[in-house]
Amino acid sequence: MSSVLPGGTARWHLTVAAALRDYGIYFALALLIAYFSIRIPEFRTAENALLILLQVSVIGVIAIGMTFTIITAGIDLSVGSLLAVAGVMSGVFAQKDPTLLNMLLAFSLPILIGLVGGAINGLVIAWAGVNALIVTLGTLTAYRGFVVWYRVNPIYDLQPYYSVIGQGAIGPMPVPVLILIFLAVVAAIVLNFTRFGRYVYAVGGNREAARAAGINVELVTFAVYVISGFCVGMAALIFTSRLGAAQAISGQGFELQAIAAAVVGGASLFGGRGRISNTIVGALIMGVLFNGFVMLDVPAPIQQMAIGVIIIAAVWLDGILRKRRR
Amino acid sequence: MLAFTDKEICTRAMTTSTTVAENVGRREVSARSVVSIRGVSKSFGATLAVDRVDLDLHSSEVHALVGENGAGKSTLMRVLAGFHSDYSGTIAVDGEQTQILHPRQARALGIALVHQELSLLPEMTVAENILLGREPYGTIPGVISRRAMQERSRALFRELGIQLDAAARVDRLSIAERQLVEIAKGVSANPRVLIFDEPTSSLTYHETRELFRVISGLTAKGTAIVYISHKLDEIFAVAHRVTVLRDGARVASAPVDEWTQARLVNAMVGRDLSALFPRTPSAPGEVRLEVRNLTRRGAFRSVSFHVRAREVVGLYGLIGSGRTSLADALYGMAPADAGEILVDGEPVAVHSAARALAHGIAMAPEDRRARGLVPMLSVKVNMSLSALAALTQAGFIARSRELNAVERLIGRLSVRAASHSQEVTMLSGGNQQKVVLARALMVGPKVLILDEPTRGIDVVAKAEVHAIINDLAQQGLAVLMISSELLEILGMSDRVLVMRDGAIVGEIARAEASEERLVAMAAGVAAAAESRA
Repeated sequence: MSSVLPGGTARWHLTVAAALRDYGIYFALALLIAYFSIRIPEFRTAENALLILLQVSVIGVIAIGMTFTIITAGIDLSVGSLLAVAGVMSGVFAQKDPTLLNMLLAFSLPILIGLVGGAINGLVIAWAGVNALIVTLGTLTAYRGFVVWYRVNPIYDLQPYYSVIGQGAIGPMPVPVLILIFLAVVAAIVLNFTRFGRYVYAVGGNREAARAAGINVELVTFAVYVISGFCVGMAALIFTSRLGAAQAISGQGFELQAIAAAVVGGASLFGGRGRISNTIVGALIMGVLFNGFVMLDVPAPIQQMAIGVIIIAAVWLDGILRKRRR
Repeated sequence: MLAFTDKEICTRAMTTSTTVAENVGRREVSARSVVSIRGVSKSFGATLAVDRVDLDLHSSEVHALVGENGAGKSTLMRVLAGFHSDYSGTIAVDGEQTQILHPRQARALGIALVHQELSLLPEMTVAENILLGREPYGTIPGVISRRAMQERSRALFRELGIQLDAAARVDRLSIAERQLVEIAKGVSANPRVLIFDEPTSSLTYHETRELFRVISGLTAKGTAIVYISHKLDEIFAVAHRVTVLRDGARVASAPVDEWTQARLVNAMVGRDLSALFPRTPSAPGEVRLEVRNLTRRGAFRSVSFHVRAREVVGLYGLIGSGRTSLADALYGMAPADAGEILVDGEPVAVHSAARALAHGIAMAPEDRRARGLVPMLSVKVNMSLSALAALTQAGFIARSRELNAVERLIGRLSVRAASHSQEVTMLSGGNQQKVVLARALMVGPKVLILDEPTRGIDVVAKAEVHAIINDLAQQGLAVLMISSELLEILGMSDRVLVMRDGAIVGEIARAEASEERLVAMAAGVAAAAESRA
C-alpha cells in the first residue's frame, strides 16, 4: 500500500473529527445532562447530581478494574458473582457484635476475597493460558454457586457502624463517591505514569511484541485480574454497606454494566486501548440516562431497550470516527 | 520460445546485471495490449497516491512495476483490480473502455491480484481456500464435493508444477507454502492479467525460482503479468519490461535490457544511491557472543559459533533451516534444551527475553507487525518498551529521561515521524523498522540479533538501515544478521554462517562468499560438489 496520510479537504473538518474522536463521549455526556436539565427541573439540582454519582459508584469502581482487563485484551465476567461472595462474607461479620476483630474482618474480608478471587482468575488465565472469557465465565458460575451454597438467606440487621462506608459522607460528598474518585485517580496514574501501566497497554496491544520486548506478559496478565478483584472487593463493601444487607443474589448483571461503561468509554475489547477517565464518563452516561429516564417515568423495559441501543450506537460511532483518521 | 528452462531461470536469477533474452523484440511483436491504462489518478484525501499514470499490459509479457514504498505501485494495481472505484482516468480492456468499480467486475474482466498480505483462512484446507466462493458441487445438489475440490486443486498444482498437499490445513503450512497457495488461488481463476504484489517477500531463493517457472508457464499461455517487487535481481530475472513509479507518477518505462541496476535505483529514488551496502569492516575485537553446542529438539542441533565486537556475522539459510529458531533461543523467546551461551566469556542463562536483555543480548525480530511493534501505541512508547526498567523510579517512568533517550535515537537513526507521539503504524515500513531497532538499541546491548532487518522496506530505507548496522558494528556491537536476501548477506556480512536442517553447515569469509556458494551450501549441494573437488 502507498502511504495514506490523514488528508482531508479542509483542516477544520479534521480538527472537529479529531475532537469528536477524543472527546466524543464528553460531548455526549454534556448533551445528555443539558437535555435532562431542560426537560426536568428536579434533574438540575446538586442533590440529584450527588445521587447519580452515588448510584454510579459501585459499577464505576468495578469498571475501573474491568478497564485494566479489557486493555490487556481480556475480560472479567466474574465480577458480579465475586461481589456477592465478598459482600456476604463481609455481611457475616458485620452482623456480629462490633468487636475490633469483627469490625476489622467486616471491612477487610471483602477486599481480601476480591484479591483471592481475582488471583484465581489471573492464575488460570495467565499461566494455564485458558481464554479469559471462558475462565471468568466459569468462575462467574462457580463463585455464585459457592456463595449460594454458603449462605442462601440474606443477612439483614447489620451493625450500625457498618453503614459508614455506604451511607456516610464527608461534607456533602458521599463516601462511595469519594472512594470512586480516589480509585479512579490512582488507576489513571498507574496506567499513565508507571511502568506497569505501559506494560498493560503493550500486552494488550500486541502480546508477542510485548514478550519480545522483554516484558513478563504472564505477570502483567495475572496482575490485571488481581486489580479487577480488588476493585470488586471495594465495590462489594460499598454495595453491602449501602444496602445494609448482604445477599447471595447480589451483583447479577454487574459484569455487563461494567463492560458497557468501559466500552462506551472507548475501550477496545481487542485490547491496547482504554482510559480510566473515559470509563468513568461511560459509567456516568449510563447513570444519567437511568436517572433521567426514571424522572421522566419511562417504563423500565423501555429504559433497558434504550440503553442497549445507546451502547451499540456509541461503539459504532467510535469505530467510524476512528476509521476516519486512517 | 517463451518458456525458460529451469537452468536459464536459475542463472538469470543469480546474475544481477543480466543480459535479458534477446527474443524480447519478437515477443513484443506477437504481444497485444490487453489492458491499457491512460491518465489514471487516485488520491486519498489530500494525498495524490497515483498521478496520471499511463501503463500498457501486453499478453505474454511480464511487466515489472518498481518504485519506493508509497510510490503508488500497489494503489495503481488495486485500482486495476477494482478495489478503488473512485479513480480518474481511463482503463481499456481489449481496446474497450471500462470503469472498474468492483473487484468482482475486475475478476469478470480477467484481472486477478495475488495479495501482498496473506489473506487465507487458516482453519480451512488448501483446496477450500483456492476454490473459496467457487466451490464445485458433487452429485447431491447444493452439497460441496470435497473430492472435486481436491482434484481441481491437484490439477492446478500439476499445471503450475508446485508441490502442495491440497488436503492440508492452511495453518499447518509454512509462510512460503501459504504464499504459493495464494498464488495458486490467483492463477485458478484463469486470469488474462495476473498481478503479483511482492510475491517473494516470504519466499526463499528456491521457492522464488519455482515462482519464476510458474510465471514463465503463464506467459507461455498468453497471460499478462504485473510483477511488483523491491528486489532488483528478481526484476532483472523475470521481467520483460520495467516501469518505474515515483511519488505516484510514471518516471520511466522501457524494456528490461535497457536498464541496469544502477539506472533503476536512480530512477526509483531520483538520485544516485552510492552505497546500498555501506559495510566498512574494521578489525574485529573480543569475542562478545559465543554459542556452544546449542540444541533445541526439532529446531536446531549442536550449533556452535561466535561473534566478535565490531563484527557483522550473516546467518543464511532457507526458510525452515532453523535460523529464526536459533535467534529465538539466543534471545530467550524459545530457550534451547542444551548447550551454552556465553556473553563476554561468561555463561548466561537465557530463559526469557527479559533475561537476554539483562545479559546484553537484544533482538530486532523478524516480523515487525507480529512481534516488533505494538500497533496502537506511539513511537516513543514502542521505542522505550524494553528499556523502561532503567528509566523507572519507584515504578514511575522518568518522563524527561525517557523522552531524551527517545529523541536521541530518533535523531541517530533518522526516524521520520511527525513526532514521537505519533502512532507507530502511521510510519512507513522503513521507519517502523527503525523503531524496532531503536527498541533493541535503547537497552545498550553488547550483542544485537537482527532477523530480516530490511524485509519489505524500500531501497532508500534499506540503505539507511544498512548504514545504521555498519555504524553499530563500528561502535563495538557484535551483530548477528539473519537474512534471506543474498545481496544483503553478501553486502553486509564480514563472515557468513550457513544453516541447513537445523545445523550450521559452513562458514564463509567475506572475501570468499558468493551467491552460488551460499545457495549451494544452503541447499545441500555444496557438500557433494566440494567432496568431488
